[in-house]
This record gives sequence, C-alpha cells and structure tokens, in this order.
Amino acid sequence: MPKSQFIDPATAFEPTYIKFKDIPVCQYKKTPEEEIALYGRDNLLRIYRDMRIIRVFETMLNEIKTKSEYHSVKYTYPGPAHLSIGQEASCVGQAYALTLDDYSFGSHRSHGEILARGLAAINQLDEAELYTTMSSYMDGSILRVVEDSQREFGDIKELAICYLLYGTLAEIFGRTTGFNRGLGGSMHAFFTPFGIYPNNAIVGGAAPMALGAALYKRCNKKRGIVVANIGDGALGRGPVLEAISMSAMDQVKKLWDKEGVKGDGGLPILFNIFDNFYGMGGQTQGETMGFDMAARIGAGFSPDALLAERVNGYDPLAVADAVARQKKNLTSGRGPALLDVVTYRVSGHSPSDSSTYRTPEEIAAWRDACPIAVFREKFIAAGIFTSSELDAIDKEIMLRTERICSLAADEKKSPRMDLVRTPDAIASLMFSNEHVPSMDPEREPEVLILKEENPRAVQLATRKRYAYDESGKLYPKAKLFTLRDGIFEAVLDKIYEDATLIAYGEDNRDWGGAFAVYRGLTEALPYHRLFNAPISEAAIVGSAVGYAMCGGRVIVELMYADFIGCAGDEIFNQLPKWQAMSAGLLKMPVVLRVSVGSKYGAQHSQDWSALTAHIPGLKVVFPATPYDAKGLMTAALNGTDPVVFFESQRIYDVGEQFEKGGVPRESYEIKIGEPDIKRVGSDVTILSIGAVLYRALDAAKILDEKYGISAEIIDARSIVPFNYTPVIESVKKTGRIIIVGDACERGSVMRDMAAVISELAFDYLDAPVAALGSRNWIIPAYELEGHFFPQAQWIVDIVCEKLLPVPGYVAATSCTDTEKLDREAKGV
Amino acid sequence: MAKIIIMPRQGQSVEECIITKWSKKVGEKVAAGDILFSYETDKSAFDETSDTNGVLLAALYDEGDIVPCLSPVCIIGEAGEDISSLLAGIKNTEKSTSNDKTTDTKTDAPVSAAAAANEATAQSTGTINEGNIKISPRARLKAERTGADITSAIPTGYGGRIIERDIDRVLDEAARLGMVTTREDMSTNIMTPNTATASTASVEQAPAVQMTAAATDDYIDIPLTPTRRAIAASMHRSLTEAAQLTLHSSFDATEMLSLRAEFKEKSATLGLPDITLNDMVLFAVSRVILSHPDCNAHFINNAIRRFNTVNLAVAVDTERGLLVPVIRGAEKMSLSEISVAVHSLAAEARSGRISPDALRGGSVTVTNLGSLGVESFTPVLNPPQTVIIGICAPVTRVRENGDVYPAVGVSLTFDHRALDGASAARFLRDLCTAMENISLYLAK
Repeated sequence: MPKSQFIDPATAFEPTYIKFKDIPVCQYKKTPEEEIALYGRDNLLRIYRDMRIIRVFETMLNEIKTKSEYHSVKYTYPGPAHLSIGQEASCVGQAYALTLDDYSFGSHRSHGEILARGLAAINQLDEAELYTTMSSYMDGSILRVVEDSQREFGDIKELAICYLLYGTLAEIFGRTTGFNRGLGGSMHAFFTPFGIYPNNAIVGGAAPMALGAALYKRCNKKRGIVVANIGDGALGRGPVLEAISMSAMDQVKKLWDKEGVKGDGGLPILFNIFDNFYGMGGQTQGETMGFDMAARIGAGFSPDALLAERVNGYDPLAVADAVARQKKNLTSGRGPALLDVVTYRVSGHSPSDSSTYRTPEEIAAWRDACPIAVFREKFIAAGIFTSSELDAIDKEIMLRTERICSLAADEKKSPRMDLVRTPDAIASLMFSNEHVPSMDPEREPEVLILKEENPRAVQLATRKRYAYDESGKLYPKAKLFTLRDGIFEAVLDKIYEDATLIAYGEDNRDWGGAFAVYRGLTEALPYHRLFNAPISEAAIVGSAVGYAMCGGRVIVELMYADFIGCAGDEIFNQLPKWQAMSAGLLKMPVVLRVSVGSKYGAQHSQDWSALTAHIPGLKVVFPATPYDAKGLMTAALNGTDPVVFFESQRIYDVGEQFEKGGVPRESYEIKIGEPDIKRVGSDVTILSIGAVLYRALDAAKILDEKYGISAEIIDARSIVPFNYTPVIESVKKTGRIIIVGDACERGSVMRDMAAVISELAFDYLDAPVAALGSRNWIIPAYELEGHFFPQAQWIVDIVCEKLLPVPGYVAATSCTDTEKLDREAKGV
Repeated sequence: MAKIIIMPRQGQSVEECIITKWSKKVGEKVAAGDILFSYETDKSAFDETSDTNGVLLAALYDEGDIVPCLSPVCIIGEAGEDISSLLAGIKNTEKSTSNDKTTDTKTDAPVSAAAAANEATAQSTGTINEGNIKISPRARLKAERTGADITSAIPTGYGGRIIERDIDRVLDEAARLGMVTTREDMSTNIMTPNTATASTASVEQAPAVQMTAAATDDYIDIPLTPTRRAIAASMHRSLTEAAQLTLHSSFDATEMLSLRAEFKEKSATLGLPDITLNDMVLFAVSRVILSHPDCNAHFINNAIRRFNTVNLAVAVDTERGLLVPVIRGAEKMSLSEISVAVHSLAAEARSGRISPDALRGGSVTVTNLGSLGVESFTPVLNPPQTVIIGICAPVTRVRENGDVYPAVGVSLTFDHRALDGASAARFLRDLCTAMENISLYLAK
C-alpha cells in the first residue's frame, strides 16, 4: 500500500478486455546442421554421454531395488528410489545452459538433475579448481574414498565424474561418505559447490525455497539465476502457486531500488516444470488438473505470462535452447520465468509401482521414443558420431557405474554413521549454535538514514525504561518503553550491522506491522530490505528458508500464530530440517515472528507453541517482558539457527516491571533456553509461559495476602531449548509446581514440561505437578475469554485445592479429579 | 529338476505379501507365462507368472496367508518328481524365519507375563498395608529419611493424601515423646523446613480427628491419645523391624546396696544428691558402654552409626505414658552429676513440661522395673538404638558355700541385625562386673 500509487476510481471501472499473449508450444525448430554448428561435436558427444550416465545410474538403482544385485554387486537397499528413466534429456539440456552461479533446487525425483548439473560443472571448471573443490569438501573425506578405490583415473575430470557418482550414490545408500554424510538420502541429496541446492521430498517444496534463493541474489546483488525444478503434479500445491505468485509481485520491478548494477528488475527465478504427465499415478492433463498444458498457468500470474513456454523435453537441445533464452531474460531483469518441459517417466514412480494407472502400450510407445536413442541416431545420421565410438562410451559408463556401485555398497569403505560409538552424532547437528553478528561483514548495510536519526529511536529516548517511578508508582502507558519497543530496538540494531538482513511479512512496510513493532523501520530501510509480502504464508516462510541457506539472515512474520497452519510444511519440514540434513553445511539464521492474538475469536487468538516445540530443529522462545524480548531477539538475530519467536498481543504495551535498571539502550543478549525467576517464594512454584506471567503474579498476590502461601514465579522465556535445572531446584525447595500457559491444555508445552518435571523431581514433589492451560474449546468472544484462558483465580484454586489444600477452601472453578476424568472422556 | 518359486520383493518397504489367489492347483500343469498366483503388498496387487514349464508340485501357503518376501511359495517340477529333500530344506529355514504362527506364540508370551505382573501387583498392594496409603513422594522420602511412621500421619493433602506437613507433625509429636531421634539427625539438607510455616495456620484445625469415645454396657472405647498413638507406632515398628532378643544375667548387689545405704545416710551432710541404685546403674553403663561401640549405636539403613559420646536415655513412667529423656555426654559426668541430671529430667517429664529436645537423640536406653518387683523381662528396643538395658528387682540368692547375697537381674535386649549374641553377652558381663565393683568404678 505505497502512497506513491494512487488507486483512482475514475479508471477502476473502465470497460476493456484482458488480453493474453501466446504461449509457445514446442516451437524449437533447429536442424541437426544448425545444432552441430552451434554446439560442436565435443559438446554433443558430452550431452550424449551425460544422458547415458544418468540412464545407467538409474537402471543400476532399479536393479538394486528389485533384485538386490547389479552385475557383480549384491546389496539390499531399503530406502526410497524415485527414478527418472526417460527424463534424462530434460535435465541434461537444462544443465547445459547453466553455470556455477546458478542455483537449482529439485524434488524427490532428482538423481538425474544432480548428475546432469554435476557433469556440466565438471566440464566448466578447470582441473585445479575441481580438485580444490573436491579436496576441501567435507575435509576431502569423500575424495579419499574415491582416490583409494582405484590406482589410475586418467585425469582429474574422470576422477571428478567418479567422485560425483560416488558422492551421490553413497548419499542415497545413507553412508557417511555421501555428499551429506548420508543424512539427506535419495530425496534430499545435494552438492552446493556445483550449484546443486537441496532436493525436496515434499512435492513442490523446492518452489518457495528457490524463491528465497532468488530473493537472496536480488537483495544482495549476487550473480546467477535460480531454477526451481518441480513436477507437473506440484502445480496442485498451494505453496508452489504462492511462490510463483510472490515471485511475480509488482513491487520488485516497480518499487524496489534501481541503483545497483546487475540483476535489477524482476526476480531471477525460473520455475521449471518437468512435466511427465503424472503426479505419482494421477494424470495432471485430463484427470487431476484442468490446465490442459501446464505452461498455461503462466498467464495467471503476470501480464507477460511469466514468459512461459512449453518445450520438448525429449530433445536435450530444445531444452538447452529454452533454458538459455530464459536465463538471458532473467539476467536482464525480466523474471520470473516459467518452462513446461514435456517429458515422460518410463520407470515406475518407485520400484513398488505396478503401473496400474497406465497401459503397457503407453509405456512401450514412450520407450520407443527414447531421447537417448533418438539423439544417437540423429547425429550418427548427420555423420558426426560413429556407433562404435558411442558403444565405447556406453561400455565405459557401464564399467564405471558397476565400480562405483560396488564401492558405495561396501560397508567398510563406505561406512554408516556409528551411533553406538558416537551416539550424539546426529544430535550435535540439530542446531549449529553459532554466534555470527553479520552474515557478510565485508558489506556495508544499505540504509536510508542514520540510526540516530530514526524517528522512533528519537521518540524512544524519552520513554521510561523501568515501569515504576521512585515511589513505586507505575508510569502511564504512553510514557513506557514497551515490549514492542524492545523487539524494535533489537531489530534496528541488527539492520545496521548485518547487510544481508531483510525483513518481510504481511503489512510490514508503511504500516509497520499490524501491531506497530516495525514502526520506524520503513524510514530506515530501502524497499528490498523491508517489504510487504502477499498473503502467502507458505511462500513467506519457505522463501526465508531458501534465503538463509544461501547465506543471508532474515526475519519473517506471520501476523497471527493461527497462520502457522498456512505455512505448515515450511515450518515443520523445511525450516527445522536442513541444517541436520546437510550434515551442518547449511546454516539457517531465520527468525520467524509469530504473534498470539486476543479478543479476535477462535482463529485469531491461539497459542500454538506446542506445535513448533514438537518439531526437532526449531528453537522456540516466548518472552513476556521488554527486557527479555529485546535480549532474546538479539540472541536470535546473532545466532545461526531457526528461532520461532512468539509474541503476545496482550502485552505488546507492557513496561519493564522486573529489571530495576530498566531495559538497556545498548545491545545485550539473553541466552535462549534459560528460564528466569521473576518472584521468589517458598511454598509453591508457578512456571509461566508467555503473557500469562502477569496473571501468575496476580495469583501470587492473592495466595500471599489471603492464604499466607508464598509463590515463586519462574518465567520460562524459552521453550526449546530449555534448562530445567532452575525449575527443579525451585521444586526441591517448594515441593509443588503448577505450569501455566495460554495454549489449549491438551498436548500443550505445559503438559510436556509437567511430565519432565515429574520425572526429574519426583522425590521432591508433595503433590502431582499441575498443568494449566486454556480449555480445549474454540476461543469465544472477548467478553467470554475469562472462561477460556487461565485466570489468576484458576491458579489460586489449583494451589489451594490440590497442591497445598487449605481447609475449608471453596474453589471458584472446578479442578477436581472427577471433573478432569469427565472432560478427558469427552475430549474437551 | 524341481524349482522353488519365491515371493518377489516389490519395493523395499514391503517385507511381506498376502497371497490372494492361487491360479494353479497342486498337480496342475504349468506353462511359462501362466499366472501361478496373485498377491498383494500394502500398496499394490501383482500376478506372479511362471517362467518355466512343468507341474505345480507343492503350494506352501494357502490363499490369505502372509508370506515374507523372498521366501519360497511353491515348487514347480516334473510330474512325480521327488521333492522331499527340497521341502525339508525349506522347513529348516522356515524355523528361523518368522511366519505368522511363530509370531502368534511370541505375542502370547508377553501378554501372559504382563498379566502375571498385574496379578503380582494386585496381590502386593492387597497384602502390604502401606501400599494403600496415599502419600506424596516428598512426604514418603522425608518419612524414610527420618524414620517417621507414615501409618500414624493424618493426611491433609488433596483427596486424603499424606503430604510433607503431615509427616512434619508426626515427627514433632514423636520427637516430643523421644520416640525418634531428631528430624535434623536423619535428614540431609534436601528438605527445607519452611514449607510448614505457610500452612501452620490452616493445619491447626486439621488434626481435630474425631476422638469421641464409643461405649456400650460391656465396654468402653477410649480413643488413643497422641502420646499413646506415637508409643504404639514406635513399639510396633520396633518389634516388626528389629531382630531383637533378650539376654538375662544378674550381679551381686551387696556393694551397691551398702553404698546406697551410705549415700542415704551421709549425702546430705556431704552436700551430695540422694544417689539411688538406678543412678549407680546409669553411671556404670556410662563407663562401660564405650568399650562396646556397637551397643552405643544406631542401626540405620545401610550402616551402624557408632556414637563417640554416651547419650543415655532413661525410661520414665508418667501419667501420660512412657517418656524417655536423654542425659547427654554421660561418660563425662560424675555420679553425682548424673544423679542430679536424671532426677531433674524425670521431674520435668512427669510434670509434662519437658522440652522435646530433651527427648531426642539417645544412643542407649536404660529402663528399670526393679521398684515394681519385676524379676526378669524383655525390654523393647527404642529404634534405631541397638540395645536397651532392663534392671530388675533384687532377689536373695544362695552361693554353693551357703552364703546368701542380693542378686539384681539385668535383661539386655539387643538388635541381632547390629551385633551378635557373644558381643552382647560380653557387654552384659562387663556391665555386671562394673556394677558388682561399683566403688572401684567410681574412680573411672
């Protein structure tokens, strides 16, 4: 909603027609003679070789899967193998047109893409560069296995081909000598030194991540384009459509700065659809989708139809031609672009696929159209290949593949991760736990004004950083430095420190976020560092994942925690997984801000901390004071791990009531994972999560004044990781504990913590650990919220009735065992 | 040559398949390309076609059977061919694989074991009394560490659960009566005592347990007083937990009696207290017992705690019941000091004004029923002490040479868990010797 763009009622209703431009379908028309002139014999021979290498590799895997043997090698491989026999030309053609600056992301069916890009990279790099890459990657441990396996390799290029095949196959077989230490496997293998970025087991998962990579290149002025390789089946997925839509957002060309040099204009991203007609068994064309031809969808996203084309993916040169032209479009700022590459998978979806959804005649017809055979015959006929030289190439490929298969299957030379001797090998990779204040210290951050001139910073200088005056009276709210100010200050500091840091989400610019946390940032930052995202939560979070894995730091925001579901796959499957699945090669410095609402009913007031805490690989924090919010945000922004940062709309405007020195202006960190004692007591411990801290304080006051019970209050502050020691020490002292939070109680963090505390402090407990959350209902209207969210009185009731019974006490709410049994039996 | 047909593996996630249909019967002719049988994985259905010609000689599974992948399903060969050795080979390997029958029996076992375990728990909770007591882990731990008797605690927790403050009250009561050593004695610092403070006010009403007496023409029920309750619990615990037995002996009290007569006559003029026979017994114990360290000791969980000092507990009969005040450091006190101390403690105990502190921490107990004419008895140990010394009334005995002398019986009960009979007997012998020669021991 930039003010510079006037929305005029005078033109809004003008009668006209929307016109679509033509989308070319298989218009490639070069003759063999033209092709020979354009590519030369060597390149054409190499294209043939690369297709053969992929075909033989996939055939080898199929044999291993179905027969547990390939030629002389006997091996049983229980994992996935989604083969792409038949699709070789489409990925070899694409790789031909790409260089090392170009990043490609793929799918669960990406063995072919990995090999094609790797082989192209081996061709493009000189021998010294190649050897340096291989000997430095994973400290050369993969290279050593390959070098030790054979006396002579002829040349470095041959060694590199063996290295590529071996690193990929060992990864598929789950060996520590695989490209990702065997932690990625078949569906997630990748090798960034060759521009091969993660492949994704979630259909279409590559699209939002590739968008993030394109944002990284665009915002940080990096060379090269990004390719999102997805299947036609992925076009049914919301996150894919969100990513395509967001990549085409007008602001990139119309509003973002124009000063840089290369790469200005639209985002340099190519959505490349390997269109093999099937989403597993469902036929996109004619059954599950209505687009007739996948390229048509381009027309829905931009006036130039995303420059979409449909090309013959059974002809590697038609594909190379199309990709080269799209790359030119992208580097000249005309992106995003789309290609619909028609191809066909002759093999099953996986070896257990009995192809019940297609006829043997159909498969046979496509087998006859084999891209490799057609290419071979075409150029033998054109007189530049002889069949005997091609036969020799074929034979060499067979022998090499068999050798590599034997090496990768060898349990001694290609060992698995030893989780007996090093039981923490995977655990140590779940978080990188690094402290990196700037992801690119060489570069000066792009800003519009000096930090000191920031209008909000100037305003905050007059605010009270401790909430009480000398007489202990609370200052009026308008005078207070609040929780939202604490978050703002941490972010402001970091944008002047880390040039790669960008922030986006819905209504982040101009509005300053729906809850004014970013008020004052619009003035400070150029458009590309702070922008309004479309209402596309999956694309927002997914692109942040891609942005971070390329080397940038990013803060994205979901306006309400309730929208976590809209970005479910990105939060649960992408954000937490890539650090460990890359064996620590990728870092994930992403802060995901999520705001917990109130007063807004069932779909805008939920605390979903438990959902994120459940997923290994995410750090989760939930500060409740300005001091903690600033310190935890600073820690999150200095770290290299994904942090889900919960904020509560109930307390954006609280002042600092605990830290007597007030919230420091200068930067400081609070270690993620450390709870904090907010009130010292001796009879019962109240562990609070998030905004409920203030209701816990009210409860402590009632307990003290009315019943002489002294409550100790611990603010969890973090949820993952979490240091239980201070809590256990408190329980040793008090003997009783209640854990309170605003989330619905069933399956909540409170219940989980209760179980852990019962386990660790059992002998010190004088009553069962109590967990108190919201009712397991929908959230009612604001006026009824007191019946839904935990109140101070509810805490008092549980303490006086169950933890330390006060004779004659009459509880205001029912917290008896019978009531509990009944509620659980009804599931409410 | 007969050929074994195996169940193909269709995808590695599949470990077994179900045979859905046999298309050939045993004995039927089979041609290459014929469908032998159909089967299903969890994902798909497949037909297995024959790649040889022959006769179906054996079908090893029926329709509906689950077959592990790669294991034999049937045998095809020439009509009449002997396949017994093939079948035998298959049976051997099958024994080591898990078909559905063996898994059946396997699953049986844990079920019955679990049932047995359930029964065992049911029985144990039924027979062990304390198993039915609801008590918080914290309260139980405290009871264990202090030796507090949980059966005498009055629960004030939620749903009738004994909680920490209830154990504190048992301890306070028992300590007041000298029935247990102090709370501080037993607990290491894990418990902080401040929990009680907040709740004291509310607890005051709680112990008002219904103490109304029930009466008919034939009998009257007198509710137990807190003192009686504590004594009952302590004595019961002593007799159920300790391995106690009593040794009886006696000593020639001629010298002690004559000394007693002299004290009676002259103590006033010498400014000495009126020193009784019992005072002299206590003195003798204080001088002898340190040479028998296992008798001046506590038997605690995994150790015997020997004391370096003699904290002499003396049983005193009072109106409210038995109280046992403690003379601390008795080995360092003279006979007259002991005499003064015990008389003042006894007076305080009888008056009911005695401080609970004076009732705690005894290392050995002396109980004297001599004044009531008892000639021999079996004193009950005061746990966790390892011995208790009972003194009886003097009786006249005759020596072989015809001399008569006054003999005083000594009944020593000891805990056989802590020491053996000979050790206890040696202590009893030395004690009797000391009492026979009390004048000499006064120098000690």
